[in-house]
Amino acid sequence: MNGAHDVGGMHGFGPIDPEVDEPVFHAEWERRCFALSVAMGAYGSWNLDMSRYARETLPPGDYLTTSYYEHWLHGLQRQLVEHDFLSYDEIEQRMRTLQQASDHAET
Amino acid sequence: MPRLEPKDLHEVVRRGTRAKVDVPIEARFAEGDAVRTRNIHPTGHTRLPRYARDKTGIIDRDHGVFVFPDTHAHGDARPQHCYSVRFPSDMLWGAAGEVGTQIYIDLWDDHLEST
Amino acid sequence: MPGYIVLGKRSRHETMVMPEHHHDHEHGSHLSDTELRVRALESLLVEKDLVNPDTLNELVDTYEHKVGPRNGARVVARSWVDPDYRRRLLDDATAAIDEFAFTGRRGEYMVAVENTPTRHNVVVCTLCSCYPWTVLGLPPVWYKSAPYRSRVVIDPRGVLNEFGVTLAENTEIRVWDSTSETRYLVIPQRPAGTDDWSQDELANLVTRDAMIGVARALTPDALARAEAAS
Repeated sequence: MNGAHDVGGMHGFGPIDPEVDEPVFHAEWERRCFALSVAMGAYGSWNLDMSRYARETLPPGDYLTTSYYEHWLHGLQRQLVEHDFLSYDEIEQRMRTLQQASDHAET
Repeated sequence: MPRLEPKDLHEVVRRGTRAKVDVPIEARFAEGDAVRTRNIHPTGHTRLPRYARDKTGIIDRDHGVFVFPDTHAHGDARPQHCYSVRFPSDMLWGAAGEVGTQIYIDLWDDHLEST
Repeated sequence: MPGYIVLGKRSRHETMVMPEHHHDHEHGSHLSDTELRVRALESLLVEKDLVNPDTLNELVDTYEHKVGPRNGARVVARSWVDPDYRRRLLDDATAAIDEFAFTGRRGEYMVAVENTPTRHNVVVCTLCSCYPWTVLGLPPVWYKSAPYRSRVVIDPRGVLNEFGVTLAENTEIRVWDSTSETRYLVIPQRPAGTDDWSQDELANLVTRDAMIGVARALTPDALARAEAAS
Protein backbone atom coordinates (compact mmCIF):
# COMPACT_ATOMS: atom_id res chain seq x y z
CA MET A 1 0.00 0.00 0.00
CA ASN A 2 1.12 3.55 -0.64
CA GLY A 3 1.27 4.25 3.09
CA ALA A 4 3.20 6.57 5.35
CA HIS A 5 5.63 3.76 6.18
CA ASP A 6 7.15 4.02 2.70
CA VAL A 7 9.32 7.04 3.49
CA GLY A 8 12.37 6.52 1.25
CA GLY A 9 13.22 9.87 -0.40
CA MET A 10 10.68 11.98 1.50
CA HIS A 11 11.81 15.40 2.67
CA GLY A 12 11.21 17.45 5.77
CA PHE A 13 11.48 15.06 8.71
CA GLY A 14 14.27 17.09 10.27
CA PRO A 15 17.65 16.05 11.63
CA ILE A 16 18.59 12.55 12.66
CA ASP A 17 18.86 12.63 16.42
CA PRO A 18 20.91 9.74 17.82
CA GLU A 19 20.68 9.28 21.58
CA VAL A 20 23.97 8.79 23.43
CA ASP A 21 24.12 5.52 25.42
CA GLU A 22 20.61 4.69 24.33
CA PRO A 23 18.85 2.00 26.36
CA VAL A 24 17.31 -0.97 24.51
CA PHE A 25 13.84 0.01 25.77
CA HIS A 26 12.65 3.46 26.91
CA ALA A 27 9.70 2.42 29.05
CA GLU A 28 8.25 -0.67 30.69
CA TRP A 29 5.32 -0.73 28.26
CA GLU A 30 7.80 -1.04 25.37
CA ARG A 31 9.30 -4.16 26.98
CA ARG A 32 5.88 -5.71 27.46
CA CYS A 33 4.66 -4.74 23.98
CA PHE A 34 7.76 -6.26 22.39
CA ALA A 35 7.52 -9.50 24.38
CA LEU A 36 3.76 -9.86 23.89
CA SER A 37 4.21 -9.48 20.12
CA VAL A 38 6.85 -12.22 20.00
CA ALA A 39 4.92 -14.53 22.35
CA MET A 40 1.60 -14.19 20.49
CA GLY A 41 3.34 -14.48 17.11
CA ALA A 42 4.59 -17.91 18.19
CA TYR A 43 1.07 -19.35 17.82
CA GLY A 44 1.60 -19.13 14.08
CA SER A 45 -1.81 -17.51 13.48
CA TRP A 46 -0.07 -14.85 11.42
CA ASN A 47 3.31 -14.49 9.71
CA LEU A 48 5.87 -11.68 9.75
CA ASP A 49 4.60 -10.15 6.50
CA MET A 50 1.08 -10.01 7.94
CA SER A 51 2.51 -8.24 11.01
CA ARG A 52 4.25 -5.67 8.83
CA TYR A 53 1.06 -5.09 6.89
CA ALA A 54 -0.94 -4.70 10.11
CA ARG A 55 1.47 -1.95 11.24
CA GLU A 56 1.28 -0.25 7.84
CA THR A 57 -2.49 0.11 8.16
CA LEU A 58 -2.06 2.88 10.74
CA PRO A 59 -3.49 6.02 9.10
CA PRO A 60 -0.62 8.17 7.75
CA GLY A 61 -1.03 10.97 10.27
CA ASP A 62 -0.92 8.52 13.16
CA TYR A 63 1.95 6.51 11.69
CA LEU A 64 4.16 9.56 11.46
CA THR A 65 3.36 10.92 14.92
CA THR A 66 3.71 7.73 16.93
CA SER A 67 6.71 5.74 18.05
CA TYR A 68 7.99 2.41 16.84
CA TYR A 69 6.47 0.31 19.62
CA GLU A 70 3.17 2.13 19.22
CA HIS A 71 3.20 0.80 15.65
CA TRP A 72 3.80 -2.66 17.08
CA LEU A 73 0.97 -2.19 19.56
CA HIS A 74 -1.42 -1.16 16.81
CA GLY A 75 -0.43 -4.21 14.75
CA LEU A 76 -0.62 -6.59 17.69
CA GLN A 77 -4.04 -5.38 18.79
CA ARG A 78 -5.40 -5.57 15.27
CA GLN A 79 -4.15 -9.13 14.84
CA LEU A 80 -5.39 -10.29 18.25
CA VAL A 81 -8.85 -9.06 17.35
CA GLU A 82 -8.81 -10.35 13.76
CA HIS A 83 -7.83 -13.81 14.99
CA ASP A 84 -10.40 -13.84 17.80
CA PHE A 85 -7.93 -13.91 20.69
CA LEU A 86 -9.53 -10.74 22.09
CA SER A 87 -12.27 -8.26 21.21
CA TYR A 88 -12.01 -4.46 21.10
CA ASP A 89 -14.81 -4.30 23.68
CA GLU A 90 -12.96 -6.33 26.27
CA ILE A 91 -9.73 -4.40 25.65
CA GLU A 92 -11.50 -1.06 26.18
CA GLN A 93 -13.31 -2.43 29.23
CA ARG A 94 -10.06 -3.71 30.76
CA MET A 95 -8.39 -0.34 30.11
CA ARG A 96 -11.17 1.41 32.03
CA THR A 97 -10.82 -1.05 34.90
CA LEU A 98 -7.05 -0.56 35.06
CA GLN A 99 -7.42 3.24 34.94
CA GLN A 100 -9.92 3.14 37.81
CA ALA A 101 -7.59 0.91 39.84
CA SER A 102 -4.75 3.31 39.16
CA ASP A 103 -6.85 6.35 40.15
CA HIS A 104 -7.90 4.54 43.31
CA ALA A 105 -4.28 3.77 44.21
CA GLU A 106 -3.47 7.49 43.86
CA THR A 107 -6.04 8.68 46.38
CA MET B 1 1.26 -24.18 17.80
CA PRO B 2 1.17 -24.29 21.61
CA ARG B 3 1.75 -21.44 24.05
CA LEU B 4 5.33 -20.16 24.05
CA GLU B 5 7.16 -21.27 27.21
CA PRO B 6 10.54 -20.16 28.57
CA LYS B 7 12.07 -23.51 27.59
CA ASP B 8 11.17 -22.81 23.91
CA LEU B 9 12.90 -19.44 23.75
CA HIS B 10 16.32 -20.71 22.83
CA GLU B 11 14.83 -22.45 19.80
CA VAL B 12 12.70 -19.43 18.82
CA VAL B 13 15.66 -17.05 19.00
CA ARG B 14 18.25 -19.40 17.53
CA ARG B 15 16.19 -20.76 14.67
CA GLY B 16 14.13 -17.74 13.75
CA THR B 17 11.59 -17.70 10.95
CA ARG B 18 12.42 -19.60 7.81
CA ALA B 19 11.37 -17.38 4.90
CA LYS B 20 13.74 -19.21 2.55
CA VAL B 21 12.05 -22.10 0.81
CA ASP B 22 13.91 -25.24 -0.18
CA VAL B 23 12.20 -25.93 -3.48
CA PRO B 24 13.77 -25.91 -6.95
CA ILE B 25 12.19 -22.91 -8.66
CA GLU B 26 13.88 -21.49 -11.71
CA ALA B 27 15.27 -17.98 -11.44
CA ARG B 28 13.93 -15.58 -14.08
CA PHE B 29 17.09 -13.48 -13.89
CA ALA B 30 20.83 -13.98 -13.49
CA GLU B 31 23.58 -11.83 -12.02
CA GLY B 32 24.32 -8.91 -14.32
CA ASP B 33 20.89 -8.89 -16.02
CA ALA B 34 19.25 -5.51 -16.50
CA VAL B 35 15.73 -5.44 -15.05
CA ARG B 36 12.91 -2.95 -14.83
CA THR B 37 10.77 -2.76 -11.70
CA ARG B 38 7.02 -2.90 -12.19
CA ASN B 39 4.95 0.21 -11.74
CA ILE B 40 2.60 -1.29 -9.18
CA HIS B 41 0.46 0.40 -6.54
CA PRO B 42 -1.28 -2.40 -4.66
CA THR B 43 -3.59 -1.53 -1.77
CA GLY B 44 -2.21 -4.59 0.01
CA HIS B 45 1.34 -5.22 1.25
CA THR B 46 4.40 -4.76 -0.97
CA ARG B 47 8.17 -4.67 -0.41
CA LEU B 48 8.77 -2.70 -3.60
CA PRO B 49 9.29 0.85 -2.29
CA ARG B 50 7.59 3.68 -4.17
CA TYR B 51 10.93 5.33 -4.93
CA ALA B 52 12.07 2.25 -6.87
CA ARG B 53 9.03 1.59 -9.06
CA ASP B 54 9.37 1.75 -12.85
CA LYS B 55 13.18 2.01 -12.59
CA THR B 56 15.99 0.13 -14.29
CA GLY B 57 18.59 -1.72 -12.24
CA ILE B 58 21.06 -4.59 -12.44
CA ILE B 59 20.74 -7.95 -10.68
CA ASP B 60 23.66 -7.95 -8.25
CA ARG B 61 23.10 -11.31 -6.56
CA ASP B 62 20.49 -14.02 -6.27
CA HIS B 63 19.55 -14.69 -2.63
CA GLY B 64 17.66 -17.89 -3.51
CA VAL B 65 13.99 -18.85 -3.24
CA PHE B 66 11.93 -17.04 -0.58
CA VAL B 67 8.25 -16.61 0.17
CA PHE B 68 6.87 -13.53 -1.61
CA PRO B 69 5.91 -10.97 1.07
CA ASP B 70 3.42 -9.11 -1.15
CA THR B 71 1.17 -12.18 -1.24
CA HIS B 72 2.42 -13.91 1.93
CA ALA B 73 1.01 -10.98 3.92
CA HIS B 74 -2.37 -12.07 2.58
CA GLY B 75 -1.95 -15.82 3.08
CA ASP B 76 -0.32 -16.98 -0.17
CA ALA B 77 3.42 -17.85 0.07
CA ARG B 78 4.06 -17.94 -3.73
CA PRO B 79 7.81 -18.79 -3.38
CA GLN B 80 10.18 -17.26 -5.94
CA HIS B 81 13.71 -15.91 -6.28
CA CYS B 82 14.70 -12.84 -4.33
CA TYR B 83 17.59 -10.73 -5.66
CA SER B 84 19.69 -7.82 -4.57
CA VAL B 85 19.09 -5.27 -7.35
CA ARG B 86 21.53 -2.39 -7.84
CA PHE B 87 20.32 1.06 -8.92
CA PRO B 88 22.56 4.05 -9.61
CA SER B 89 21.48 6.95 -7.41
CA ASP B 90 20.66 9.19 -10.39
CA MET B 91 18.39 6.50 -11.88
CA LEU B 92 16.24 6.81 -8.77
CA TRP B 93 16.61 10.50 -8.00
CA GLY B 94 17.53 12.18 -11.27
CA ALA B 95 19.62 15.31 -10.86
CA ALA B 96 19.26 15.05 -7.06
CA GLY B 97 21.16 11.76 -7.13
CA GLU B 98 24.80 11.38 -6.16
CA VAL B 99 27.45 10.37 -8.67
CA GLY B 100 29.14 7.14 -7.60
CA THR B 101 26.37 6.09 -5.22
CA GLN B 102 24.47 2.86 -5.70
CA ILE B 103 21.28 1.82 -3.91
CA TYR B 104 20.77 -1.93 -3.42
CA ILE B 105 17.21 -3.16 -2.88
CA ASP B 106 16.06 -6.75 -2.33
CA LEU B 107 13.29 -7.54 -4.81
CA TRP B 108 11.48 -10.65 -6.00
CA ASP B 109 10.77 -12.07 -9.48
CA ASP B 110 7.20 -10.73 -9.43
CA HIS B 111 8.52 -7.17 -8.91
CA LEU B 112 10.71 -7.34 -12.00
CA GLU B 113 10.49 -7.39 -15.78
CA SER B 114 13.15 -7.81 -18.44
CA THR B 115 14.25 -4.56 -20.02
CA MET C 1 -15.51 -0.53 16.30
CA PRO C 2 -12.19 1.22 15.78
CA GLY C 3 -9.87 -0.51 13.33
CA TYR C 4 -6.93 1.41 14.71
CA ILE C 5 -5.77 2.96 17.90
CA VAL C 6 -7.07 6.48 18.36
CA LEU C 7 -4.10 8.52 19.38
CA GLY C 8 -4.08 11.35 21.82
CA LYS C 9 -1.87 14.41 21.74
CA ARG C 10 1.67 13.72 22.76
CA SER C 11 4.87 15.65 23.21
CA ARG C 12 7.28 15.93 20.32
CA HIS C 13 9.67 13.59 22.10
CA GLU C 14 7.10 10.85 21.90
CA THR C 15 6.57 11.18 18.21
CA MET C 16 8.17 9.09 15.56
CA VAL C 17 9.43 12.13 13.69
CA MET C 18 11.55 13.20 16.61
CA PRO C 19 13.13 10.20 18.31
CA GLU C 20 11.63 9.50 21.70
CA HIS C 21 13.66 10.15 24.82
CA HIS C 22 12.87 9.92 28.49
CA HIS C 23 9.16 9.47 28.72
CA ASP C 24 9.01 6.79 31.31
CA HIS C 25 5.79 7.61 33.14
CA GLU C 26 4.77 4.53 34.97
CA HIS C 27 2.86 5.70 37.96
CA GLY C 28 -0.67 6.60 38.93
CA SER C 29 -2.81 8.99 36.99
CA HIS C 30 -0.16 9.65 34.35
CA LEU C 31 -0.94 6.35 32.66
CA SER C 32 -1.18 7.10 28.95
CA ASP C 33 -3.60 5.41 26.61
CA THR C 34 -0.65 3.43 25.28
CA GLU C 35 0.46 2.21 28.70
CA LEU C 36 -3.09 1.28 29.64
CA ARG C 37 -3.60 -0.57 26.38
CA VAL C 38 -0.45 -2.65 26.76
CA ARG C 39 -1.38 -3.48 30.36
CA ALA C 40 -4.87 -4.41 29.26
CA LEU C 41 -3.58 -6.73 26.54
CA GLU C 42 -1.14 -8.41 28.90
CA SER C 43 -3.63 -8.87 31.73
CA LEU C 44 -6.27 -10.31 29.39
CA LEU C 45 -3.85 -12.65 27.62
CA VAL C 46 -2.41 -13.90 30.92
CA GLU C 47 -5.90 -14.34 32.36
CA LYS C 48 -6.88 -16.44 29.35
CA ASP C 49 -3.69 -18.48 29.76
CA LEU C 50 -2.53 -17.40 26.31
CA VAL C 51 0.82 -16.04 27.52
CA ASN C 52 3.11 -17.10 30.32
CA PRO C 53 4.49 -14.00 32.12
CA ASP C 54 7.78 -15.86 32.70
CA THR C 55 8.15 -16.15 28.93
CA LEU C 56 7.65 -12.39 28.55
CA ASN C 57 10.27 -11.70 31.23
CA GLU C 58 12.79 -14.01 29.59
CA LEU C 59 12.16 -12.50 26.15
CA VAL C 60 12.85 -9.03 27.53
CA ASP C 61 15.96 -10.25 29.33
CA THR C 62 17.25 -11.94 26.18
CA TYR C 63 17.01 -8.82 24.02
CA GLU C 64 17.88 -6.32 26.73
CA HIS C 65 20.92 -8.12 28.13
CA LYS C 66 22.06 -11.08 26.02
CA VAL C 67 21.86 -10.21 22.32
CA GLY C 68 23.67 -7.08 21.20
CA PRO C 69 26.40 -5.51 19.07
CA ARG C 70 29.15 -7.34 20.98
CA ASN C 71 28.16 -10.33 18.85
CA GLY C 72 28.75 -8.50 15.60
CA ALA C 73 31.97 -6.99 16.94
CA ARG C 74 33.40 -10.47 17.51
CA VAL C 75 32.54 -11.43 13.92
CA VAL C 76 34.18 -8.29 12.52
CA ALA C 77 37.29 -8.58 14.72
CA ARG C 78 37.81 -12.15 13.56
CA SER C 79 37.49 -11.04 9.93
CA TRP C 80 40.29 -8.52 10.58
CA VAL C 81 42.77 -11.09 11.87
CA ASP C 82 41.79 -14.23 9.96
CA PRO C 83 41.86 -13.88 6.15
CA ASP C 84 40.24 -17.30 5.63
CA TYR C 85 37.37 -16.30 7.90
CA ARG C 86 36.99 -12.99 6.07
CA ARG C 87 36.67 -14.86 2.78
CA ARG C 88 34.05 -17.18 4.25
CA LEU C 89 32.19 -14.19 5.68
CA LEU C 90 32.10 -12.40 2.32
CA ASP C 91 31.18 -15.57 0.39
CA ASP C 92 28.47 -16.86 2.73
CA ALA C 93 27.88 -14.67 5.75
CA THR C 94 25.06 -16.86 7.06
CA ALA C 95 27.39 -19.87 7.39
CA ALA C 96 30.34 -17.81 8.66
CA ILE C 97 28.27 -16.02 11.33
CA ASP C 98 26.68 -19.33 12.25
CA GLU C 99 30.16 -20.52 13.27
CA PHE C 100 29.64 -18.18 16.27
CA ALA C 101 25.99 -19.34 16.60
CA PHE C 102 25.01 -15.71 15.89
CA THR C 103 22.26 -16.47 13.37
CA GLY C 104 18.57 -16.91 14.13
CA ARG C 105 15.56 -14.68 14.66
CA ARG C 106 15.92 -11.59 12.40
CA GLY C 107 19.35 -12.74 11.37
CA GLU C 108 18.36 -15.90 9.57
CA TYR C 109 19.98 -14.93 6.27
CA MET C 110 23.02 -12.68 6.36
CA VAL C 111 25.16 -10.78 3.86
CA ALA C 112 28.39 -9.06 4.94
CA VAL C 113 29.60 -6.03 2.95
CA GLU C 114 33.12 -4.68 3.38
CA ASN C 115 34.30 -1.10 3.50
CA THR C 116 37.53 -0.39 1.64
CA PRO C 117 39.59 2.78 1.10
CA THR C 118 37.42 3.50 -1.96
CA ARG C 119 34.02 2.09 -0.97
CA HIS C 120 31.65 2.74 1.93
CA ASN C 121 28.52 0.72 2.81
CA VAL C 122 25.53 1.86 4.86
CA VAL C 123 22.38 -0.06 5.78
CA VAL C 124 18.76 1.10 6.16
CA CYS C 125 15.23 -0.25 6.04
CA THR C 126 13.09 2.43 4.39
CA LEU C 127 9.83 0.46 4.72
CA CYS C 128 10.03 -0.58 8.38
CA SER C 129 12.97 -1.36 10.65
CA CYS C 130 14.68 -4.53 9.38
CA TYR C 131 17.97 -4.94 11.21
CA PRO C 132 20.23 -7.91 12.02
CA TRP C 133 19.11 -8.62 15.59
CA THR C 134 21.40 -11.63 16.07
CA VAL C 135 24.58 -9.62 15.58
CA LEU C 136 23.49 -6.08 16.59
CA GLY C 137 20.56 -6.57 18.99
CA LEU C 138 17.41 -4.45 18.65
CA PRO C 139 17.79 -1.29 16.54
CA PRO C 140 18.20 2.19 18.06
CA VAL C 141 15.34 4.68 17.74
CA TRP C 142 17.08 6.82 15.11
CA TYR C 143 17.45 3.79 12.81
CA LYS C 144 13.69 3.16 13.00
CA SER C 145 12.72 6.82 12.60
CA ALA C 146 11.62 8.74 9.54
CA PRO C 147 14.53 11.22 9.35
CA TYR C 148 17.12 8.47 8.79
CA ARG C 149 14.93 6.12 6.75
CA SER C 150 13.79 8.87 4.38
CA ARG C 151 17.14 10.57 3.81
CA VAL C 152 19.86 7.96 3.67
CA VAL C 153 18.67 6.62 0.31
CA ILE C 154 18.50 10.03 -1.39
CA ASP C 155 21.27 11.89 0.46
CA PRO C 156 23.65 9.30 1.93
CA ARG C 157 26.65 11.61 1.75
CA GLY C 158 24.81 14.27 3.72
CA VAL C 159 23.59 11.76 6.30
CA LEU C 160 27.08 10.31 6.72
CA ASN C 161 28.46 13.82 7.15
CA GLU C 162 25.93 14.41 9.91
CA PHE C 163 27.21 11.28 11.64
CA GLY C 164 30.77 12.59 11.30
CA VAL C 165 31.82 10.35 8.42
CA THR C 166 33.31 12.51 5.70
CA LEU C 167 34.18 10.57 2.58
CA ALA C 168 36.47 11.51 -0.29
CA GLU C 169 34.56 12.66 -3.34
CA ASN C 170 35.53 9.60 -5.34
CA THR C 171 34.49 7.12 -2.64
CA GLU C 172 31.75 4.83 -3.92
CA ILE C 173 28.78 4.68 -1.55
CA ARG C 174 26.58 1.58 -1.42
CA VAL C 175 23.27 1.95 0.40
CA TRP C 176 21.53 -1.32 1.30
CA ASP C 177 17.76 -1.00 1.70
CA SER C 178 16.78 -4.10 3.72
CA THR C 179 13.49 -4.97 2.05
CA SER C 180 13.74 -8.77 2.52
CA GLU C 181 14.60 -11.27 5.24
CA THR C 182 18.26 -11.00 4.23
CA ARG C 183 20.05 -8.75 6.73
CA TYR C 184 23.22 -6.76 6.08
CA LEU C 185 26.30 -6.37 8.26
CA VAL C 186 28.93 -3.77 7.38
CA ILE C 187 32.55 -4.81 7.95
CA PRO C 188 34.32 -1.53 8.75
CA GLN C 189 37.97 -0.99 7.89
CA ARG C 190 40.49 -2.01 10.51
CA PRO C 191 41.92 1.14 12.11
CA ALA C 192 45.60 1.97 11.72
CA GLY C 193 47.94 1.35 14.63
CA THR C 194 46.33 -1.94 15.67
CA ASP C 195 48.75 -4.40 14.07
CA ASP C 196 49.69 -6.07 17.35
CA TRP C 197 46.18 -6.06 18.85
CA SER C 198 44.48 -9.34 19.71
CA GLN C 199 41.11 -10.31 18.30
CA ASP C 200 39.41 -9.56 21.65
CA GLU C 201 41.06 -6.14 21.90
CA LEU C 202 40.07 -5.33 18.32
CA ALA C 203 36.43 -6.18 19.05
CA ASN C 204 36.34 -3.20 21.44
CA LEU C 205 36.88 -0.90 18.45
CA VAL C 206 33.85 -2.21 16.55
CA THR C 207 30.75 -0.18 17.42
CA ARG C 208 27.13 -0.76 16.51
CA ASP C 209 27.17 2.34 14.30
CA ALA C 210 30.26 1.10 12.45
CA MET C 211 28.41 -2.12 11.60
CA ILE C 212 25.37 -0.15 10.34
CA GLY C 213 27.80 1.96 8.31
CA VAL C 214 27.17 5.40 9.86
CA ALA C 215 30.53 5.43 11.64
CA ARG C 216 34.05 4.15 11.22
CA ALA C 217 35.53 1.71 13.70
CA LEU C 218 37.03 3.51 16.70
CA THR C 219 40.69 4.43 16.54
CA PRO C 220 42.85 3.31 19.50
CA ASP C 221 42.86 6.97 20.66
CA ALA C 222 39.08 7.26 20.47
CA LEU C 223 38.70 4.02 22.43
CA ALA C 224 41.08 5.29 25.12
CA ARG C 225 39.11 8.56 25.37
CA ALA C 226 35.80 6.66 25.59
CA GLU C 227 37.15 4.39 28.31
CA ALA C 228 38.54 7.35 30.27
CA ALA C 229 35.17 9.10 30.07
CA SER C 230 33.17 6.13 31.35
